[in-house]
Amino acid sequence: MKFHWFHLMPYPYLPDNFKQKHRSVWVDLPAADIYDPIKGHQVYNDYLDQLEFAERAGFDGICVNEHHQNGYGLMPSPNLMAAALARRTSKAKLVVLGNSVALYDPAIRVAEEMAMLDVLSGGRLVSGFPVGTGMDTAFCYGANPATLRDKYREGVELIVKAWKTRRPFAFNGKYTKLRYVNPWPVPIQTPHPPIWIPGGGSIETWEWCVKNDFLYAYLSYWGYESGRPVIDGFWETVSRLGGEINPYRAGFLQFVGVAENDAEAERLYAEPAEYFYNRCFHISPEFYNPPGYASIATIRKGVNSQVVKASQHLRTASVKWKHLIDDGVIIAGSPQTIVDRLNDMADKLNVGHVLLLCHFGNMKNDTVYYNTTRFAREVIPKLRHRFSEYEDRWWPKSPLTDVQKPAALSTAAE
Amino acid sequence: MLTSESVALPGGRTSRVLRGGIGPTVVWLHGPHGLRGHDPVVAELARRYSVIAPLSPGFADLAELDDIDSVHDLALHYDALFDALGLQAITLLGHSFGAMVAAEYAAHYPRRVAKLVLMSPFGLWRDDHPVADFFGVPYMTFDKLVWKSGKVSPEMSDPADEPNDPIEKQVAVAQALTTVAKFIWPIPDRGLRRRLPRVTAPTLVIFGADDAVIPPIYADEFAAAIRHARKAVIADAAHMVPYEQRAEVFTLLDAFLGDAGARSSAAMTGAHG
Repeated sequence: MKFHWFHLMPYPYLPDNFKQKHRSVWVDLPAADIYDPIKGHQVYNDYLDQLEFAERAGFDGICVNEHHQNGYGLMPSPNLMAAALARRTSKAKLVVLGNSVALYDPAIRVAEEMAMLDVLSGGRLVSGFPVGTGMDTAFCYGANPATLRDKYREGVELIVKAWKTRRPFAFNGKYTKLRYVNPWPVPIQTPHPPIWIPGGGSIETWEWCVKNDFLYAYLSYWGYESGRPVIDGFWETVSRLGGEINPYRAGFLQFVGVAENDAEAERLYAEPAEYFYNRCFHISPEFYNPPGYASIATIRKGVNSQVVKASQHLRTASVKWKHLIDDGVIIAGSPQTIVDRLNDMADKLNVGHVLLLCHFGNMKNDTVYYNTTRFAREVIPKLRHRFSEYEDRWWPKSPLTDVQKPAALSTAAE
Repeated sequence: MLTSESVALPGGRTSRVLRGGIGPTVVWLHGPHGLRGHDPVVAELARRYSVIAPLSPGFADLAELDDIDSVHDLALHYDALFDALGLQAITLLGHSFGAMVAAEYAAHYPRRVAKLVLMSPFGLWRDDHPVADFFGVPYMTFDKLVWKSGKVSPEMSDPADEPNDPIEKQVAVAQALTTVAKFIWPIPDRGLRRRLPRVTAPTLVIFGADDAVIPPIYADEFAAAIRHARKAVIADAAHMVPYEQRAEVFTLLDAFLGDAGARSSAAMTGAHG
């Protein structure tokens, strides 16, 4: 099993009455009312420190992602964050999860920036290509939801072809027409960095991932029990298409809080967890689901309606720690509790890549370090052996052994 | 009694069309709520005219939009349909999204449209009077946005028109709104203002005075941009004006269409059954 430290980079100063006062944390929340860029300076630097710490603690990957116009996640460009991390880390893989391909015209921009990151980091990049949420794509970036997925798939096809070809070619797509596709630089990894697709529950995405040998990562915020129908659907698709049931072709996201015992876990993690679910996740449901965003086949399957239901429920209910623990949304407690639950998750979901949220909501710095350290020391070693019989083909294969370090600042100044 | 038929179009495509009534021919292009078998406005039209009401491509099957990328493609689609139906000198009526399509058609094919009626049309934009975000309104307030009364008219919810299965109901709404989104997302402006001066048909623009989707000031915009246009803003009505103030709307239509409908010769023999 591999363990990745995922930062959502939320804004930690959303007011107490946020849910009552604002319609949505996403799309139309006025920055003037909420966001203080001076505090933002500290927030970015703290968050980058935490990601860098995760490498030293022993996590396999450090993850950043893309969202727009919101207080939920402050990374409109995950590539900028990954660039900063590339210079200050040397072992951890940079999991950029990822760039919403359909938002870039031409999509070749994504191929360029991802290649820059792979070269800069010495071949440590995992390139994630999400469709992007309805909020990010349709509402914030004005992408037409009726054609979004089609444009997205065409963009990914273009990027992969450019990375594989590495010589000029013409691309006559429906959405992108380029006489000369010839991006520089090209990635260190050949034919290209592993491609991860963070998905909701779109059934076409399962098939597409299997056919193209992309990793499917289900980024659920509802815990592994409620994530089972989606992951099961993915594995059924793998079987149906004759693919190998290899745990490393799937990823799952899980909130964790390691402590001495349940009581300490509540003391440390209840507040940031409730902050996340009541403020960061306060999203108007219509922003989730612009028309066309979910395919007709997906609506017929009824998978997405769960997310909408959950978000509608959240709008009125006040989420409490007890519910989050009882419903298995957050796994918290002693290291042994976490090990047991993650073993159960591995049994039930058969997922080899675990994306962990050791920071969430407005968690304090020292709590983040405590959680991260204990997870790395007391949980990872007990789960590391799981799935070791499988080859992980969805992971950077041979990063440079001697990643060049930044010159010392004093030297550079001379 | 309205009948439904499938009309064959070039390239192997088809279009579903509701038709009924007798008299001069009028064509009705429906709004985002689609085309119901018991649509009260289509039924009222059928009492006076021979009404032809095509179902917009996409509403029954999104794959129909694969080759219809723009309002220009939509205009081509309707031109092929009107050819197949043998229509000349068309009296063209539309509501909301359908009114935008009607206006586009009349601008693309001005010589083919005899009279044009636009009820609560999308298609123009003013920064100082923005059109509401039709897709970003909270679900629970959608009916409040489009209906003056805040509730769907009971006439519009004939169970015979609705799929029984809740998932299929959701699918029907998704297909309808995805189709509309394709042509008006995120701002309902595809350059119609530039094309409206091409419209030569006498035009009647109807708005509800309380339209919360498209402010009635847009009646002035359409009337000013079209050469031979007059406008009517109807009190106590919102975006669903033909459904909300049907009697008043039909009084206006009677006066405007007069015997003009008779001039629109529908050569029924040219229709493909």
